[in-house]
Amino acid sequence: MSARSLLVALVAAIVAIAFADSSIVVLGLPQLYTRFETSITGVSWVVTSYNAAVAVTALALVFLVHRFRPRFVFGAGVLLFLAATIACAVAQSLWFLIAARSVQGAGAGLLLAGALPLASARVWTLAGTFGAALGPALGGVLTQLFDWRAIFVAQAPVAAAGLYAAFRSEDETTAREGWRPSLARTLPANACIGLVFGALVGALFLAVLLVIVAWQYSPIGGALIVSVLPAAALAARTLASRLPGLAAISGGAALLGAGLVALALLPSASVVIAMCALALCGAGLGLAVPGLSNAALDPGAGLTRSGTLTIGIRHLGLVAAIASIAPLLASDLPPAGDRAQLKATQVLLDAPIGITDKVPIAVDLRGAFDKAKDGEIPDLAEPFDARGARSDAKLAAARDDLVAAIEESITRAFRPDFFLAAGFGAAAALLAALVRRRLVT
Amino acid sequence: MRVLAALFLAAAVLVGVEFAKGAAHTGDVHLADPCQARPFQGDVLQRVVLAGLDHAACRLHTSREELVLSLGTTSKRKEAALRAGLLRAVDEAERRGEIPGLLAGPIRELIRTAPINKLISGGISLADLFGP
Repeated sequence: MSARSLLVALVAAIVAIAFADSSIVVLGLPQLYTRFETSITGVSWVVTSYNAAVAVTALALVFLVHRFRPRFVFGAGVLLFLAATIACAVAQSLWFLIAARSVQGAGAGLLLAGALPLASARVWTLAGTFGAALGPALGGVLTQLFDWRAIFVAQAPVAAAGLYAAFRSEDETTAREGWRPSLARTLPANACIGLVFGALVGALFLAVLLVIVAWQYSPIGGALIVSVLPAAALAARTLASRLPGLAAISGGAALLGAGLVALALLPSASVVIAMCALALCGAGLGLAVPGLSNAALDPGAGLTRSGTLTIGIRHLGLVAAIASIAPLLASDLPPAGDRAQLKATQVLLDAPIGITDKVPIAVDLRGAFDKAKDGEIPDLAEPFDARGARSDAKLAAARDDLVAAIEESITRAFRPDFFLAAGFGAAAALLAALVRRRLVT
Repeated sequence: MRVLAALFLAAAVLVGVEFAKGAAHTGDVHLADPCQARPFQGDVLQRVVLAGLDHAACRLHTSREELVLSLGTTSKRKEAALRAGLLRAVDEAERRGEIPGLLAGPIRELIRTAPINKLISGGISLADLFGP
């Protein structure tokens, strides 16, 4: 590998990590939820703060980035990112973690803007796609094998390597592109990208919470389930190049929306159906994003400035979606928990087990629900095991029916939120159809 | 374009499968009206306790499930409703011939005097029926 290729690879790696950070921590959220004894809205700020900081930094940089050498912007960003990543790894409180994530996001905004001329648009886009897609899976593996801090510990060496690349890279002479005020023609593509990434919140943030908190899968199990999305996205990229531009973009956004509708309509805690829906979401993403990225990264408007704008808009889309979805979910879960208790009690009272078991277990249910956090399935093993569920098949069957009833109730609580995310996808498809002349040449 | 159409068809089929599996009613809770008579399964003791819970819930204008979930806290009104509900259930069981008349009297006395939690959990034995 040549020295130039090595440097490009290191730049691509840190770009992938910076994009992955939008979602890498999602599979660690349940641990953070417990560790910091916070709410769903509180823990969602760990995701929101990063994306908001990237958006604000990048959008501010649109007006300034043409004045600076890319190496300087990239190097400053990596340094800030590295320092904040280490701060995240050692955070002892939720608010410190959120503050560190904000600084990490500011660093990411800088490094992503500076990286575009140092790598190439193609390498940058590919690294970003890989990073965003693999983020949740990587986060899940690290969380389960170690704990949530490992997500940040693992990033530090990559950031350090990025710093080396910043020192050793040579500026491309075309990178100092001056002020070209013609970004307006990239706005339609960027608006669609923002809406697509807003829809992606449903497929990543919501689906991960559902699978891990509500269905009680491990982080690695959750990562495996959610990984069907990036796999489908990568498979669909080859199809995107064979379709007419508008069909890929509008059709892809509509397919992403359709996948989210399927997630909204989950009839039970069915992993198979969820994975099929996530595959549709991934396919939609893989179809829509390449064409939108090509339209948004316009060399005629200044590659660095247009790239910086698209970074800002993508993350703004993520923030807008999380900001609207997280409070909605937080308000839906407590009544869902009440319905789950009633349904579980009904199942228990109708179960073919002795009365000396069912009423005491039903009373214990109330205590178990009170201890469980919003959206979590309460720990029902103890009331059943205390009455011999491990050796009594009927009691074990009653426990399983009860857990299934509770999971259904909690799954239903996610329905409005998945529909809201689907709305972002539908809006992207509609906007793409309306502004088609601006998207495809 | 055919592949894109196939993907949309797959999405439609998936949604159809979800509705076939009950997506329209996922998580719905339909609690039975406790004031309407219904059959119960299990032994006599279980049928009496479940019927008693129904009668008490009807009296308290709530559901059987909500009543059971509230058993962690007691009130005189709730206790009175539970004892009245169980007494009525015993009367009905005696009329059906499920409880012999000889035992019905002591059972009624037990319902009037035993701790309510023990009654509801079915923790009654022959020793309880015939006293110390």
